[in-house]
Amino acid sequence: MADLQDELRTATEVDALDALAGPFADEPYEPVSDPDAEPLERAHVILAAHPVADGYSGLPWALRHLPWFDLELGESAVDTDVPRMREGHVGALFWSLHLPEGLDGDPAVGATLEQLDLVKTVVRAHPEGLRLALTAGQATDVHNCGRVAVLLGPAGAAALGDSLGILRSLHALGLRVLTLSGVSWASEAGLTRFGEEVLREMNRLGVLADLSGASADTVRRAFAVSKAPVLFTRSAARALRPHPANLPDDLLAELGAAKGLCMVPLTAEQTGPSVRDVADHLDHLRAVAGPECVGLSGTYDAGTAHPQDLADASCYPHLIAELLRRDWAESGIALLTWGNVQRVLRGADFTARAAQQRREPSTAKIAELDG
Amino acid sequence: MASLDEARELLREFPVVDGHNDLPWALREQVRYDLDARDIATSQAAHLHTDIPRLREGGVGAQYWSVYVRSDLPDAVPATLEQIDCVRQLLARYPRDLRPAFTAADMEAARDEGRIASLMGAEGGHSIANSLATLRALYALGVRYMTLTHNDNIAWADSATDEPGVGGLSAFGRAVVREMNREGMLVDLSHVAATTMGDALDATMAPVIFSHSSSRAVCNHPRNIPDDVLERLPGNGGMAMVTFVPKFVLQAAVDWTAAADENMRAHGFHHLATTPGAMKVHRAYEEQNPRPVATVSTVADHLDHMREVTGIDHLGIGGDYDGTAFTPDGLNDVSGYPNLIAELLDRGWSRSDLAKLTWQNAVRVLGAAEDVARDLQTTRGPSNATIESLDG
Repeated sequence: MADLQDELRTATEVDALDALAGPFADEPYEPVSDPDAEPLERAHVILAAHPVADGYSGLPWALRHLPWFDLELGESAVDTDVPRMREGHVGALFWSLHLPEGLDGDPAVGATLEQLDLVKTVVRAHPEGLRLALTAGQATDVHNCGRVAVLLGPAGAAALGDSLGILRSLHALGLRVLTLSGVSWASEAGLTRFGEEVLREMNRLGVLADLSGASADTVRRAFAVSKAPVLFTRSAARALRPHPANLPDDLLAELGAAKGLCMVPLTAEQTGPSVRDVADHLDHLRAVAGPECVGLSGTYDAGTAHPQDLADASCYPHLIAELLRRDWAESGIALLTWGNVQRVLRGADFTARAAQQRREPSTAKIAELDG
Repeated sequence: MASLDEARELLREFPVVDGHNDLPWALREQVRYDLDARDIATSQAAHLHTDIPRLREGGVGAQYWSVYVRSDLPDAVPATLEQIDCVRQLLARYPRDLRPAFTAADMEAARDEGRIASLMGAEGGHSIANSLATLRALYALGVRYMTLTHNDNIAWADSATDEPGVGGLSAFGRAVVREMNREGMLVDLSHVAATTMGDALDATMAPVIFSHSSSRAVCNHPRNIPDDVLERLPGNGGMAMVTFVPKFVLQAAVDWTAAADENMRAHGFHHLATTPGAMKVHRAYEEQNPRPVATVSTVADHLDHMREVTGIDHLGIGGDYDGTAFTPDGLNDVSGYPNLIAELLDRGWSRSDLAKLTWQNAVRVLGAAEDVARDLQTTRGPSNATIESLDG
């Protein structure tokens, strides 16, 4: 042991090392646009470098009812297609597997499998425009290949059929986000013991929890239990617009402390009828939760009306231009569009790897925990 | 004894590919997937036919784990996903012994690494709930064959152990077969009615398998394969994997089971009832009428006959361990395969014949299904045909 100790650095050397930048220190942000150019022009330049990772698309259900469609050449029956996503600089898109209300129990599991199959079939049919991504790194790779990364989720909690084995099977099929609401174990009353076990198993697998539409009790419990960052795929500020899925300021502050991510939907119902209204929400969220905790969620093809000038997936530059007019820094916009989603996906991945070292797959049953 | 040594030596080079093992269902029923309670790295002889030491002793090189779920319950799809999760957990727990396998090349790689290639088979079309998308999801999760029915008819296919329904395969049933061909999932014709076997052989473009069925000419039971169907296998390129279940392979056991079931019904019980009262009646009957015992030789008789009818290139083994309460003498659990090989050596089967029986045929058949799928995928997209549109 003595000779090992001889190799210890002296105190001064240790101090000198501390002065060096740590391996995880933030790299300084390097602006990509000319600060004197027109806002819309700047928006395009910034988005080209930091594309939008859009948190919610209703495409799977919308496409399911079309007899024929071609997303690569352009598809007027929906709000999202490859040309418009390129125009709007969408680099990644979460494809919702949510089912219409009234489907739960056994049909929900089967219907979710069908939704998953549909997304994979659509992606395979559009190899020049779309590619499936399962991790943050893959999403970046796909973007660098000039394609739009398709991420699977959110799915509704009913898709689990109250079984952790089914959760694991869905994860194996690519599911990465699950919305915790509308089931006995994640209801208005909050998370039950089984609900917490589901969340822990999601952490172990790397499935993100989506809390949009979840009750305040569920949200708070999820903040406390989840080891990975949590998501709100479609929530804005309730202080500006009273909608049940929008978040009050106290929850937003807690979200900021928990380093989660609130993705603001571009819907007239939740954010208001104009681009300025959406920007107001983003301003508010940035102030209350912090710039690392805000994201965007187009919510196209989900059957809701959109603000003026944000009618489809090509319109993101208008929104970014508005933020530039409000003196948002480029670095803040880069986080809003792409960086925060990357962070959350990576956080889920890291958590999963760490948890898998410590935990076996859970065999908990709802009947045992919730009785 | 010499032939047993030779059998073991042969199995080291050409291990057994077994077509059907119900370990996942046994784990579900016995311990609700608590895999700590049934650690198969150690002997589970008290509870199960299957554990890793006995698989090794039996010379098993590849196993199709059945992700069977009951066909008389409404929640087949969710339960199938849980069964698949069980297999995946086993693979994660025992990586030194079990290797995930999805292709013929994976099977060869597992053999080279000295691990047991682990594949999955679904048992019954009820597991896809009339949805081709769900079929593709099962394929994506690793399922490489699907038995078209279990003991009961389904809406698009007739079972061997049910009354005639659609008379074989319906139009949607044929679409299921074609979609399985396109994905590269083997069509398994164990459990199905002879009419369904014929329709499936007409519809399929890839080799079919019988994952666990024996010869109807040797022992007349509907779960076995008639000779005229066996005769079609060379043209199809598929294979019949002989099963060991005594009540299918030994005529005396077939008759005994029928009489025992009749006795149960006479006492007012369902023939599969396991309530204490039913078990008491059953035990009393068994004391009066000793259960006939199948042996290694019984199974070898089936193989001899099937070989005459279909040829050595179309035979395999599918023990159905942990899916049956009783097993033949000498084939009591998964360590028993060398006894069967030794018996066949004694009957004059050559080493190259036995290599085909144990290993080569099964690897060839899966590889052929992959080739057909690759071809079909260049010309055909995934089908979303529905049972309503095809069967009306």
